[in-house]
Amino acid sequence: MDLQNLFDMSSLFLQQLVNGLTVGGVYALIAVGYTMVYGVIELINFAHGEIYMFGAFITFHLITVYKVPFFVAALVAVATCAVIGILLDIVAYRPLRNAPRLAALITAIGMSIFFQNVALIKWGAQIKSYPLEALPPFFSDVAVRIGDVQVTWLQVFILATTLLLMFALHTIIHRTKVGAAMRAIAQDKRAAALMGINVNRVISFTFALGSSLGAVAGILVGVFYNAIWPTMGYIAGIKAFAAAVLGGIGSVPGAMLGGVVLGVAEVFGAGYLSSQYRDGIAYAVMILVIVFKPSGLLGKAMIQKV
Amino acid sequence: MRKSLIWTAALVCLVGSAAWAGDTIKIPVASPFTGPLASFGEGVKNGALLKAEEINAAGGINGKKVEILLEDELCDPKEAANVATKLAGDKDVVVVVGHLCSSASLAAAPIYKDAKLPAISPASTNPNLCKSSPYYFRNVYKDDFQGAFLARYVDEALGWKKIAIFYETNDYSIGLKNAFVAEAKKRGLRILGEEAYTSDTTDFTPQLSKFKMMKPDAIFIPGYAPQGTLIVSQAAKLGMKVGFFGADGLDDDVMLKNKDAEGLFVTTPFLPDAAGPEAQGFIKAYKAKYGVEPNWFAANTYDAVGLAAEAIAKVGLDRQKVRDYLASLNSPDKAYKGVTGATYFDENGDCLKAAFIKEIRGGKWVSAKKQLQ
Amino acid sequence: MGIREFLEEHPRAAVGAVAAIALILPWLPLGEASGYVTRVATLTMVYMALALGLNIVPGFTGLLDLGYVGFYGIGAYTAGLLTIHYGLSYWVILPLAAMNGALWGILLGAPTLRLTGDYFAIVTFGFAELVGLVIRNELWLTRGPMGIPGIAAPSIFGHVLSKEWEFFYLMLAILVFVVILVRRVENSRLGRAWFAIREDEIAAEACGINIIRYKILAFAVSASIGALAGSFYARWFRFIHPDMFKFWESILVLCLVVLGGMGSVVGVMLGALVMIPMTEILRVGLGAFVDWAGSAGFTWISPDLVNARYLIFGLILVLMMRFRPEGLFPAVRVRGEMHPGSERERDDEDESFYEARTDHEKEPLG
Repeated sequence: MDLQNLFDMSSLFLQQLVNGLTVGGVYALIAVGYTMVYGVIELINFAHGEIYMFGAFITFHLITVYKVPFFVAALVAVATCAVIGILLDIVAYRPLRNAPRLAALITAIGMSIFFQNVALIKWGAQIKSYPLEALPPFFSDVAVRIGDVQVTWLQVFILATTLLLMFALHTIIHRTKVGAAMRAIAQDKRAAALMGINVNRVISFTFALGSSLGAVAGILVGVFYNAIWPTMGYIAGIKAFAAAVLGGIGSVPGAMLGGVVLGVAEVFGAGYLSSQYRDGIAYAVMILVIVFKPSGLLGKAMIQKV
Repeated sequence: MRKSLIWTAALVCLVGSAAWAGDTIKIPVASPFTGPLASFGEGVKNGALLKAEEINAAGGINGKKVEILLEDELCDPKEAANVATKLAGDKDVVVVVGHLCSSASLAAAPIYKDAKLPAISPASTNPNLCKSSPYYFRNVYKDDFQGAFLARYVDEALGWKKIAIFYETNDYSIGLKNAFVAEAKKRGLRILGEEAYTSDTTDFTPQLSKFKMMKPDAIFIPGYAPQGTLIVSQAAKLGMKVGFFGADGLDDDVMLKNKDAEGLFVTTPFLPDAAGPEAQGFIKAYKAKYGVEPNWFAANTYDAVGLAAEAIAKVGLDRQKVRDYLASLNSPDKAYKGVTGATYFDENGDCLKAAFIKEIRGGKWVSAKKQLQ
Repeated sequence: MGIREFLEEHPRAAVGAVAAIALILPWLPLGEASGYVTRVATLTMVYMALALGLNIVPGFTGLLDLGYVGFYGIGAYTAGLLTIHYGLSYWVILPLAAMNGALWGILLGAPTLRLTGDYFAIVTFGFAELVGLVIRNELWLTRGPMGIPGIAAPSIFGHVLSKEWEFFYLMLAILVFVVILVRRVENSRLGRAWFAIREDEIAAEACGINIIRYKILAFAVSASIGALAGSFYARWFRFIHPDMFKFWESILVLCLVVLGGMGSVVGVMLGALVMIPMTEILRVGLGAFVDWAGSAGFTWISPDLVNARYLIFGLILVLMMRFRPEGLFPAVRVRGEMHPGSERERDDEDESFYEARTDHEKEPLG
C-alpha cells in the first residue's frame, strides 16, 4: 500500500466518523425521548418516531406555505410537537394507565399508524425537500477541511445543537424540581404521588420534553439529508429505540451513548461492510442486547426473568 | 344475520362499481398515480387523456367513445397484481395500457397471460418482460439497449473514463447497470466501484464518501428520480466535483428543483425539440391543455393508447384478435406511426426505438449538444 | 338482534350459515364481478388463517408478536423458491413450508420467549425486519426487490389450478385444516397448558408445566400456520416481492385479532371477515371519491386520501384498546356456548388476560 493510498484510507475513515457522529447525535436526541417516557410510564411509545416526523413536516409547512423564516418555523414546530406529545399522552395513553401492558402497547402502535397516515394524507407520500433559499446560507459552507475530509457548518450545527440540548436535559433532570419529580416517579409512582407530586402533570412534562427533542431531531435530519417523507419516523424511531435499549432503557446518559455508538456503527457498517444491511445493524444490535445483556451499556437489569 | 348483510353490501358495491358499462370502449391505463412515483404517473395520465379526447373528438372508435380507466397501482407489484386480476375479469376490457414500472409489469404479466389479455407498456424497460408472455408488448426500448447506449455516449461524447455506479436493487436498475458495465468494459472504461441502495434509502453519504476517495470522473445512477436527487445533493454536500448521468428513470422535473443537479445527463425516448413533424401537433396540444411540455411518459402513453385504439378499430373488441393484430405489426412498413416515431414489434413484442440524451442546463431540460445515431 | 347475541344463541347456526355462504360463494350470480369477489374472499381466508396463527401467541400465551409477517414471508419464499428451482408439487411444499416456519419459530423463540411483554414484542419486530432485509438483499437467493415472478400454480391430479374459484376451494380446505388444528390443540393437554400459563404463569410452573417449552411450542405452531398461509399465497399470486411482507402486514393481522377478540377462534375469523373486504371497499370507494373530488374541483382534497384506509386501522387499534379490549366477538361466551362443560367466566378472563403492569425494580432516571 503506497502512502497516497494510506492517506486516502485514513481520510475516508475520518469522513465516515464525522458522518457517523452526525447521525448518532440525532439518534441520541430521539432515543432520550423513548427512554424518558419508558422511565416514567413503562411504555414503548411507538408514536415517538412520528412526532419526530411531525417536527420536520410542520417546519416544512411553515416555510413553504407561510414563508416563515427557518429558525422561527423550527421553534414553532418544536412547540407544536411538545403539545402533540402532551395530547398524545392525555388522549391515548392516560386512560390506559392501569390497563394491561399489552393494551397500552397496541394503542401506541395504533397511534403511530394513525399519525403516519395523517401526514400521508396531508403531505403526500413523495419525498419533500426544504427549499434551499429558505435555509440559512451558512449551512452548506465548509467549516473544516483537512485534505479530502470536510465538515460543513450544518454538521457542526447539528453536533453543537445535540450537545447543548443534552446538557440542558441533564440540568433539567438533575438540577430542577420537576426533574427530581421525574426521577421520583420513575422509581415509584405511587410513593411519588403520596409525597405530593402531581404525577400526571410531570408525565405531561416528560412527554413535552421528549417530543420537543424528537422534533428538533426531525428538523435536523430533514435539513441534513434534504429529504422528509411521512414514514421517516418509523425507521428512525425503531433505530432510536434500539439505541435506547443499547444504552439501557430508562437511562438518559445510556440513550445518549447508545445513539452515538449506533450511529457510528451504522455508518461504518454501510461504508465498509454492506450498505444494504445498514438498517439490519440496528435491529441485530437491539436483539443481541435484549437477549444477552438486557440492561444495556449503562442500565440496571430490569427484565423480569421467569 | 348481519354479517351476510355486510357481505351483501360488499357485493353490491363491487358489482355496482363494475357494472355501469355503457356504450363506451374502456381502455384501462395502469400506472402509479399516487405514492412516491406519482409524478411519473402524471405524464401517463395526461398523455392518455389527451389521446382519448382527440379520438373522441374525431368520432371515437367506430362511433363509440373511448373511456380511459385510470388504475392506480402505486408501482407496487402486489397492487399491480390486484389491478391486473380486476382487469382480467372485466369482459369489456380487451387491451391494457400499462404498467409503468418494470416490477409492476412483471407481476401483472402472468395474470394477463392466463386471461389472454394483451397489454402494451409505455415505459417498462426490463429486458425479460415481453419475452415472458406472448400477450405483453411495449413501445419503449429495453434496458440492455439503453445501458449500452449510455456507455457509448459517455465514452464518445463526454470522454468520461472512470465511472462509479450507484444503483437501486430492482429489475430496472440492475438490468441497466449490467448492460452498461458490459458495454463499458468492451470500450475500456474503468468501473471503479458499484454500490447498491434500496428504495427506502435516504442517507447515501457513507457510500458517496467511499466513491469520493476513488476520484471517479462521473457517477452513473441507473435509478429513479426521488433517490437520484438526494444522491446528487448529498454528493455536493460532501464537496464532490463529479459528473452525473442516469437513464430515463431520472427524467423527472423533481431534478430541476435541485441546483446540484445542474449538468446531469439522462437518456430519454422522446425529446420535444428532436421530435419529428408528426409530433409537433401533439406537443402544441399538450402544452395548450396542461401548460407544460410533454415528457416521454406522456408521449409514449399517448402512442400506446393510440395503438390500442387502432387495434380495436381494426379487429373489434376481441382480446385474441387484438393480440394477433399487435403481433402482426412486425416490420417498419406495417408500423404504427405515432409521435415517438414508428412502433413495430419483434417476435417477443419488444420494439426498437431511438434514444436521446438531454441534460439540465440553467435549471431546465435541454437536448444535449451531441446526439448519437 | 345484534350479531353477538345471535352468535351466543345460535353458534352452530351462525357458523353453518357462514360455511354455507362460503361454499357457494363462487357460484353466486355476480356477473363480471364474480372473479374479483371470489379473489377477495380467498384473500380474506388467507388473512383468517394468518389471524388464527397469530392469535395463538397473544391470545393463548399473553405475549405480543409483532413479527408475524416474518413467518408469512418465510413460508411464501420457501414455497416460491422450491417451486421455481425444483418444481416441487404444492402438496410436498405445503408441509415443508410449515416446517420451515416452525423451525424459525423455534430458533427465534428459544432465546427470546423468556422475555416479558414489551421486550418480546420488540425482538419479534426486529426479527421480522431482519427477515425482510435478507429477502430484499440476498439477490442470489430471492432476487430481492425484483421479486420472484412465474411461480407455477398448484395442480391437483395433473389439473393445474387457474380459475379463481379453484384457488378459493383450495384455500378453504387449508383454512378448514387450520381451524381444526387450532381447535384440537386448544382442547388438548397442550392447549390447557397454554391457558394455564396465560392465567397464572407462576401457578402453572408450580404445577409442573415447563413454561418455556410450552411457549416455544405455541410459537412454533403459530409460525408454521403463518408459513402455511404464505406458501399458499405464493402459489396463488404466482409472484412474490419483499414489499408484500412488510411490517404493515403484521399490524393488519394484529388488527384483525384485536378487533375480533384475542384468544377467540371464531372472533378473529370474524375480524378478518369484516376487515379484509372492507379494505377493498375502502380502496374502491375512496378511489372513486378522490376522482370525483378531483373532477368536481375540490383541489384541497389530496389524492393521497386513498391511503386513509390505513389511518382507519390505526384508529381501530386505539379505540378497541380503549373501549373494548376484549374484542367485538370475545372468546369465552362463544366458547362457553359451544362447550357447555366449561366453567370459565368471562370476567375472570378479562382480569387476568395479560399480566398487569407490575412495579418491579427500575433504574432511576438520570
